[in-house]
Amino acid sequence: MAPPNGDKGTALLEKLSRIDSGKPPFGCMQCGLCAATCPLGPAMEYPPRKLILQTIAGNLDKVLTSPSLWMCVACYACSKRCPRGIELTEELWPALRDAAMQEGHQPPAELQETFQNVFKYGNVLGKSPRQRLQWAKDLDVRVLDLSKDPKPVDVLWLVGCYPSYYPRNQGVARSFARIMTELGVSWGILGTKEKAVGECDRMFGEEGLFETLVEQNRQLFDEQDFGKIVVLDPHAFRALQSFYPRFGAWYPVQHYTQFLEEYIEQLKPLMVKPVEAVVTYHDNCCVGRRCECYDPPRELLKLIPGVKLVEMSRNRDDSLCCGGGGGGMWLDAHIVANGGRRLSDERVQQAADTGADTLAVSCPYELSRFEDAAKVTGLEGKLKVRDIIELMAESMDLGERSIA
Amino acid sequence: MSDNETLRIGVYVCHCGTNIAAVIDVEALTKFAEGLPHVALARNYKYMCSDPGQELVKQDIAEYGLNRIVVAACSPNLHEPTFRRAAEDAGLNRFLVQMANIREQVAWVTEDGELALEKAKAHVAGAVRRVARHEALQRQFVRITPRAMVVGGGIAGIQAALTLAEAGKEVVLVEREPSIGGHMAMFDKTFPTLDCAACILTPKMTSVKVNPNIKLLTYSEIESVEGSVGNFKVKVRRKPRYINEDLCVGCMQCIDGCVFTQAKFPNSFDQGLGMRKPVWVPFPQAVPPVPVVDPEVCLQIARGKCKQGCVEACGERGAFDFDQQEKIEEYEVGAIIIATGFKAFDPSVIPYYGYGKYPNVYTSLEVERLLNAGGPTGGKLILRDGSTPKKVGIIHCVGSRDVNYHEYCSRVCCMYSLKIAHLVREKTGAEVYNCYIDIRAPGKGFEEFYNRVQNEGVQFVRGKVADITPVANGSGPLVMKVDDTLLGHIREIEVDMVILAVALEPHADAGEVRRNFGISCSNEGFFLEKHPKLAPVNTANDGVLVAGACQGAKDIPDTVAQADAAAAKALAMIDAGEIELEPNTAWIDEEMCSGCKTCINLCPFQAITADEERKIAVIDQALCKGCGTCVAACPSGAAKQHLFGDRQIDEELEGLMNYV
Ligand SMILES: Cc1cc2nc3c(=O)[nH]c(=O)nc-3n(C[C@H](O)[C@H](O)[C@H](O)COP(=O)(O)OP(=O)(O)OC[C@H]3O[C@@H](n4cnc5c(N)ncnc54)[C@H](O)[C@@H]3O)c2cc1C
Ligand code: SF4
Ligand code: SF4
Repeated sequence: MAPPNGDKGTALLEKLSRIDSGKPPFGCMQCGLCAATCPLGPAMEYPPRKLILQTIAGNLDKVLTSPSLWMCVACYACSKRCPRGIELTEELWPALRDAAMQEGHQPPAELQETFQNVFKYGNVLGKSPRQRLQWAKDLDVRVLDLSKDPKPVDVLWLVGCYPSYYPRNQGVARSFARIMTELGVSWGILGTKEKAVGECDRMFGEEGLFETLVEQNRQLFDEQDFGKIVVLDPHAFRALQSFYPRFGAWYPVQHYTQFLEEYIEQLKPLMVKPVEAVVTYHDNCCVGRRCECYDPPRELLKLIPGVKLVEMSRNRDDSLCCGGGGGGMWLDAHIVANGGRRLSDERVQQAADTGADTLAVSCPYELSRFEDAAKVTGLEGKLKVRDIIELMAESMDLGERSIA
Repeated sequence: MSDNETLRIGVYVCHCGTNIAAVIDVEALTKFAEGLPHVALARNYKYMCSDPGQELVKQDIAEYGLNRIVVAACSPNLHEPTFRRAAEDAGLNRFLVQMANIREQVAWVTEDGELALEKAKAHVAGAVRRVARHEALQRQFVRITPRAMVVGGGIAGIQAALTLAEAGKEVVLVEREPSIGGHMAMFDKTFPTLDCAACILTPKMTSVKVNPNIKLLTYSEIESVEGSVGNFKVKVRRKPRYINEDLCVGCMQCIDGCVFTQAKFPNSFDQGLGMRKPVWVPFPQAVPPVPVVDPEVCLQIARGKCKQGCVEACGERGAFDFDQQEKIEEYEVGAIIIATGFKAFDPSVIPYYGYGKYPNVYTSLEVERLLNAGGPTGGKLILRDGSTPKKVGIIHCVGSRDVNYHEYCSRVCCMYSLKIAHLVREKTGAEVYNCYIDIRAPGKGFEEFYNRVQNEGVQFVRGKVADITPVANGSGPLVMKVDDTLLGHIREIEVDMVILAVALEPHADAGEVRRNFGISCSNEGFFLEKHPKLAPVNTANDGVLVAGACQGAKDIPDTVAQADAAAAKALAMIDAGEIELEPNTAWIDEEMCSGCKTCINLCPFQAITADEERKIAVIDQALCKGCGTCVAACPSGAAKQHLFGDRQIDEELEGLMNYV
């Protein structure tokens, strides 16, 4: 019997039966745990459970045209809990979005713009690649640009789009450069040649674009001689760890929290200045929930004298997403227009409820998302949002010497 | 047998209906067999295992003087005994028969007919050359010790012990808790009939106590197991009770007499919801009705100083003995039934249900204790603050049907959740929401019970609850967030109490029990039966049987049925009086043995001892399992094995490899 959607239905189901991680969706028992777990589930016309049901039943046209297809923010909560081990976040949603785009159903405009930015400029912000090194201007430590001066290094640091261009994040990049130098790490960057890793493109079903990026990045990486890649962006970490190898592009990669944790003993005596703050840490979804790496960021925070670490009621496994993952960064308007809410607003409130004055993060998106959220929810001035790197640099007294 | 005896081998090729004949050209195979050395006759037949098939072999032995038989048919696991018996009936030693497995190893696994024929030829040639080297062997039997041991005194162990004892057999029943009864003793009512659990269980417990054939060892654990089917030697570790079981009359006055006026230590039988004193019994109908003293908290034992109100209350009965020490006792038994039951899943590992974090989230087992008249609240279903819940949520499949915890269905949770729903409504009139994925009610009377509970007004919500959060901070009401998959939208249901229908899982020490008794576990950790359909109570270790929830999650009716089945198996074994040993045991060629003792430590079954006087190794034929370890290890070539001699193996290989 031919499936109701003919060839495209067959192709999609065929694709879903050959997925790379987790179990295929055909084993779904319609328990609805995913739908009720999803922070945006109540607002979705087709939350994950219904998405599967309709897809298997052959009602593809319904799900591919629904606004809810563009509401998942890749928080991994559903995948993590699904009792049948179905990888919804990384497999089902991207496959359906890919199918939708192939059918000519476009994602929300803001997201399309982001794809185009990546396509044209190699970064999500649509900035000129020539300005990629702007963040390092007048920096008081030596920055080795491997694209100009290829040398063997231990660490190839992918600075990332936000830390390269976005003013609020540039300080984080500068601090990280100083911390690595202080630790005596041999590191280098790709300078103006660096490109987005493309995680959001894959999660959003832009598979063609993603493949192009993998190819371009593979060439760039293969020109260099390095021990491992270190990234600030958890999404880039996940992409390099899990999606790149599917194209044969395998590189050892660490998120910066994992990387720095290996230097704990060396870092201890370097923490000279107390940072008096009550800090609560927000687990990001990619390094946290998906890879179950919960301790390194906390261990780093515990190193800092003066910091009192408190936990939000939802932490680790149960952490609430900031809403920025897998392209969610450019979906706030779409989500709110379709009855959803900004998860970052809720999350800063949860942080404030702990009595903390500082919300520590380890993801470039979260800085601006949570700062905006603090403004919207009236927490501005009461709750500071800071990257772990910033807190560490402050304690290590690695301030903006050259600038100040 | 000597080389110069005239060999007359008969070869029989079976069609097995079409199982073999549809793939292998049986005529060609027969022709091929005729041409093999020493083959006096070769035939093929539709069903060799049928009566006429066996008759054929018997007649040919008589008529043609055959002295070796090869049957090319199915796996020897199935019909080797059949053809051995046929040969024996015709006066031939039963071990002069060899099977060539051309069904499982050839026909079923080879598509190409020509290749299959070639492969079958190799098998037949191997069997013919091997059987030429077979020798007549004597069958060996061992006597069975007419006594059984049952490990675990839940309903499974109780039932099995009673069935054996009532048939006049001696039984040693070992239970690690202070009383027998297992989980069933914790319940108030049992589904689907709502029998009062105590009313049907305690008479059986009393029978165990008074039956002279049962030796009851409570507060005891298995230390080690030696020997094999028919003759096991089991060491049992008996923990000190500090009360002499022979002198105690079960008056329980010591508990009143204890210097602790308040019971303040969590009672494990009540899941920690009730308190006990240092001297305690788990429940009033405990068997034996003898208290135990907890050495961790008893002042006399822990600190060496106490007024000993208990001893005073015991008075001239004089049952107290604070000097009691752990003892190891050894029992010889012929068969063992393992009935160690299950453990309830600990839901605190599921972060989103908040068990251990929100006080009004309970496990089903805790609620069973609250509902029980003998429980910590005297049968009142109340929250920790003493109030009665007005709305109760029951979450099915907690830890079951979930790849993150246990992938299997625990089989009883749907039904006990319905039972609890009924009892909650009956006792409190509360609104009850059963959140389920599928209701599984396949037993006798189960569907009817489901229907009854529906009609009693219980709300059924089809969906797995995703989150439990308190309405406000603290210990108040809770909100269950659930995708009501039938209504098609996500609901938030406010309740005062959440009951988690937790999975049944193997005990943490199941691995240790498994090793002690030489049996296996399935993936999920329950003990593995020998065959899921045809040998559901046997295990891979002959003489060791399993019954009840330790073999897989199951309810009381199934547990009792399985316990009786295991008891019947044990009875059959004991009544047979003796058991035939496998013929393929190892033996020592005394002339060749240098007495180096290499083999002794290698034997996994401790079957080899050293005869120090004669300076040779001796193998106990009853203990040898024929694994061949010593045979391969012996540096002098003195360890040999029946049916697996060097020449037998060499010849078989020759035949297999150079069959043309
Ligand atoms: C909440 C709940 C409610 C239930 N309600 C019902 C119901 O209403 N009706 C129904 O039919 N079924 C019900 N069941 C299922 C029922 O509990 C089981 O079918 C039954 O208890 C199985 O009996 P068992 O003897 O195999 O195991 P258990 O009852 O677990 O007994 C095993 C015994 O072995 C002992 N033991 C364990 N390990 C060792 C060891 N190493 N050495 C010595 N002794 C050991 C234990 O202490 C225990 O006494 C319910 C289950 C649960 C969890
Ligand atoms: S949680 Fe898994 S099994 Fe349950 S409805 Fe969602 S996808 Fe299906
Ligand atoms: S990944 Fe998160 S946002 Fe996406 S469907 Fe699953 S739970 Fe919802």
